[in-house]
Amino acid sequence: MTAEQAHEAHGDDHGHGHGDASPFIQHHYDDAQHQFDSGKFGIWLFLAQEVLFFSALFVAYILYRYNHPEIYSYAHKYLDVKMGAINTAVLIFSSLTAAWAVRCAQLNQRKGLILCIVVTLGCACTFLVVKYFEYTHKVHEHILFGQYFDPCVSSGGNELLTKNNECPGSKSTIEWDYPTAKPIEGCMSELGIDTDPREEGIQADCVVFEAMGAKQKDKDGKEEWVEKSRKPIPNRCVEEVFGAEELDPNLPKSAEQPAKEAFPCWKPAIQPAVCKDGWFFAWHCDGVVCKAASGGEGPYASLNKCQEAKTAKTGALKGEGTAWVSECTSGHGAGILVEYGDHAERGETIRIKAECKGPQPPAEVGDLAIDKQTDIVLGQKSIKPKHQLTTHEAHEREAAGPPPEHTNMFFTIYFAMTGLHGVHVLFGVFVFIWLLIRSIKGHFTPDYFGPVDFAALYWHIVDLIWIFLFPLLYLIH
Amino acid sequence: MATKTKQERNDGPVNEPDYLSINNGKPRWERIKGWLFTLDHKRIGLMYLFGILGALIVGGVFALLVRTELFFPGKTIVDQDTYNKFFTLHGAVMVFLVIIPGIPAALGNIIMPIQLGAPDVAFPRLNLMSFYLWCIGALMLVITIPFGGLDTGWTLYTPYSLKSATPVLIATSGVFVLGFSSIFTGLNFLVTIHKFRPQGMGWFQMPLNIWAIYATAIMQVLATPVLGITVLLLSVERFAHIGIFDPTMGGDPVLFQHFFWFYSHPAVYIMIIPGMGVISELISTFARKPLFGYRFVAYSSVSLALLSFLVWGHHMFVSGQSRLANMVFSALTFSVGIPSAIKVFNWVATLYKGDIRLKTPMLYALSFLLLFTIGGLTGLFLGILSVDVHLHDTYFVVAHFHYVMMGSTLVAFLGALHYWWPKFTGRMYPEQLGKLCSMGVFFGFNLTFLPQFVMGSRGMPRRYWDYDPQYTIFHQLSTIGAFVLGISLFVTVVYLFASFKIGKRAPRNPWGGSSLEWQAPTPPPLYNFEKPPILHELYNYDDLVEVEEDVWERRAPIEAEPEPVPGDAHAHARPESTPAKPVDEATALPGMSEQITEPKAATAVEPPDSTEAETKPERSPIFGKPEDDK
Repeated sequence: MTAEQAHEAHGDDHGHGHGDASPFIQHHYDDAQHQFDSGKFGIWLFLAQEVLFFSALFVAYILYRYNHPEIYSYAHKYLDVKMGAINTAVLIFSSLTAAWAVRCAQLNQRKGLILCIVVTLGCACTFLVVKYFEYTHKVHEHILFGQYFDPCVSSGGNELLTKNNECPGSKSTIEWDYPTAKPIEGCMSELGIDTDPREEGIQADCVVFEAMGAKQKDKDGKEEWVEKSRKPIPNRCVEEVFGAEELDPNLPKSAEQPAKEAFPCWKPAIQPAVCKDGWFFAWHCDGVVCKAASGGEGPYASLNKCQEAKTAKTGALKGEGTAWVSECTSGHGAGILVEYGDHAERGETIRIKAECKGPQPPAEVGDLAIDKQTDIVLGQKSIKPKHQLTTHEAHEREAAGPPPEHTNMFFTIYFAMTGLHGVHVLFGVFVFIWLLIRSIKGHFTPDYFGPVDFAALYWHIVDLIWIFLFPLLYLIH
Repeated sequence: MATKTKQERNDGPVNEPDYLSINNGKPRWERIKGWLFTLDHKRIGLMYLFGILGALIVGGVFALLVRTELFFPGKTIVDQDTYNKFFTLHGAVMVFLVIIPGIPAALGNIIMPIQLGAPDVAFPRLNLMSFYLWCIGALMLVITIPFGGLDTGWTLYTPYSLKSATPVLIATSGVFVLGFSSIFTGLNFLVTIHKFRPQGMGWFQMPLNIWAIYATAIMQVLATPVLGITVLLLSVERFAHIGIFDPTMGGDPVLFQHFFWFYSHPAVYIMIIPGMGVISELISTFARKPLFGYRFVAYSSVSLALLSFLVWGHHMFVSGQSRLANMVFSALTFSVGIPSAIKVFNWVATLYKGDIRLKTPMLYALSFLLLFTIGGLTGLFLGILSVDVHLHDTYFVVAHFHYVMMGSTLVAFLGALHYWWPKFTGRMYPEQLGKLCSMGVFFGFNLTFLPQFVMGSRGMPRRYWDYDPQYTIFHQLSTIGAFVLGISLFVTVVYLFASFKIGKRAPRNPWGGSSLEWQAPTPPPLYNFEKPPILHELYNYDDLVEVEEDVWERRAPIEAEPEPVPGDAHAHARPESTPAKPVDEATALPGMSEQITEPKAATAVEPPDSTEAETKPERSPIFGKPEDDK
């Protein structure tokens, strides 16, 4: 392409612009046309540079998505499609007004030009405000990049145990006021459920059931309760109302003493117990005071050793209605039984038990135990597939559970891409403010409107990049 | 065109001050401001040049420290950690601050617009901003020295650069800023070359130096952003731990290498192609012959630029790339040899039967030919997959890229510096000293790096502080060579600066160059030309006569020609209408050109009158203030 052809190709964009009427024609240029053409070519090169600047991030996106599709299908559900869609619409509209601004400048319509620039500015600011809300929400929920990725909820909205337990409302740095049996700070969910894992990444997986049985004598003549049948009780309240006189006499008689109303029903514990390396914790029995044989009492109680728990079984718990840890074979993968009820009176025939899988072996250093968890019980939403899952169900199930390993990479890329894009939008805001000032001063004429044209082109590429980002981040399947 | 009088020839512009003395007589602060806020491409380029020469000294000192440490096995002067910092800073300073901006930003800024016959670059303010970005970036790189130096190697490979205790963040931010300096320079030059060519200068009437700067600018604009985002990610990784290159968080450290080399391989060509452009000018001028295969050399610059985007993988043959990728990258790497060889053969063919004048720039140009050939051919060894496994990360690689980056680029830079020094300073450098130093550079360089090929092929790894005694002799030769080289360079810098004050005044055209910059006053005024330059046939030296030592003038047949009709001017400048005359022995001798009786086709282009300029969409070669036109 010769210079002349190049010149003509650019020169046809608008049909005027000879003569040096505008004072803004720098005098190393021949005329307004020459200055405009140079600027136009320059801005196109700049845009090419911008595309290359973003390209590395797109390459990173492709690479990580190719290697870890599961991360993307899981993590994108954290993103709010509605917000993304609003932003897309806002940006597309602002591109229109930016283009319109150029036309107004060419036709010397000063009011129209100012209006278009103001609308474009408004759209840019709207975009940034929406982005601000998206970001703050993610900061709040710890849905961040790298090591700060520690989400409070799964992408399906279920509560998660977090590595550092920094989610508001479920702090691990819980302190209990024993006389009142209330946490001083942290760690109770709205339901009064302590979701605190105590130990990093340990979570028991329990099925609660009613066990029917009777005492039998074995051949040595020892009495032993033998289970005959069992019946799972998911999400079902066992009507078990205790009289006030039956409350644990050892608990302080404060106002916070669990009262009769506190036990309207029994629900399977979320995390009845956990065994880890011979250490034993029982800290939650929903609505029921857990009591430890050896340790203190209160809603949070711990037993020192599994062995002690066993011993304790015989000694305590008469008429108390406490959740009760009856068995624990220690070590990894051990089963734990949480019994509920009064042994002396009802235990002969029915016991309520929770059978829990033991915790996973300690995770390797550098990996997140939370990521290793495969079978999940969260709240009462233990999802146990009974049939071949449909794709949708599989996604649901996936989203309910903890994030796959290195989900943080999705958010690294998400924040890098949208952040860089956001910086460009912010830069665009400054550019349009500058244009606004100049257009109010009446600098732009049909002879000299290059800056409006170039800013609009820049704005189109910012828009275009977002049009790629929106489906790639928000709308994937 | 009247014969220039002696006074006109030796002085700068007649009616206005030259660009150096534009603020003479004003208060000191005004004069300083005249430099700091100048929009004149020559002043900006000159400031670049000083900055780059300063950085060259810093980088050179680190190089000498590295070589001194390696004089004996084991500890010679510093411990291991300090040694790591030395070679890192040497590499980072030399690559980012000296070689990449050396020819394009400094000499390109000064010479390219004049050579193009343009009054300035397209965006002077952007140009000044590039320079200040360069300053900020340079400051950030250099400031790492008091903060404890940098020990990652100039390549900043992850994951070490994520863990290093040295101030990597400052350095990477500096590189980021430098990258944008480079991008804006490239953008500016591309627009300038596209939009500021005078009427009559088509693409193939451009000097090859402009072609090379054009190819370089393409790479600067298209490759550097990738480096920008890469070091930006690395910086963010350093302070926010986003994990993108960190394997412990699921990131991919090899991705960094891909990104880094996607820029840094083209960067090698950003370094070398402007050097090639300069060499094309030098060889043609000092052999007094049109450049052989002009179009091929021009195309080869652009094809090198494009190919350079496709070969980055050859830096990572042992980084766990797939076998297929290795093979593809290896094959593409060999293809780079084609345009490189086209250039070398064309230069050699230009020299053939030329009237060679061994001035200092020509000595550098001839050094370049040898050194680039060695550097290029050893690159083929490294492109062979099996051989690369043996040679990777040895001194063979070190020697190879120094032959290309230093032996070629720096030598070309020095050649260009000497070639254009009289033009932009208005002073001659001492010729004899220049020749001596150029030979010092050539022999010192070879003494430094030839032994490194030998020890590298015998397995001496690069970047090692210690070595087996069997390598001692090579290291010692290399160190001695480095000092010869260092001293030569230092003396060069000193005499160049001294010549600013005490050099004898330079004529308008000391070398008999045919391109437009030699028509400009020496030193040029603010907008470079007092009257529009006349386009002559490029690389045709028939009309140029050496009237006295180092003073060339254009003689007949332009004098005999009547003023060309403005309307025909356009057509006359095209080589199709006036094909380059094959130069035979007789015409190659400039002294004899006066005897040629046969009138030549008019090659001059007169500016069209102003009415025509208004009606035609094309750019006219008239610049300066509009009222100057008539």
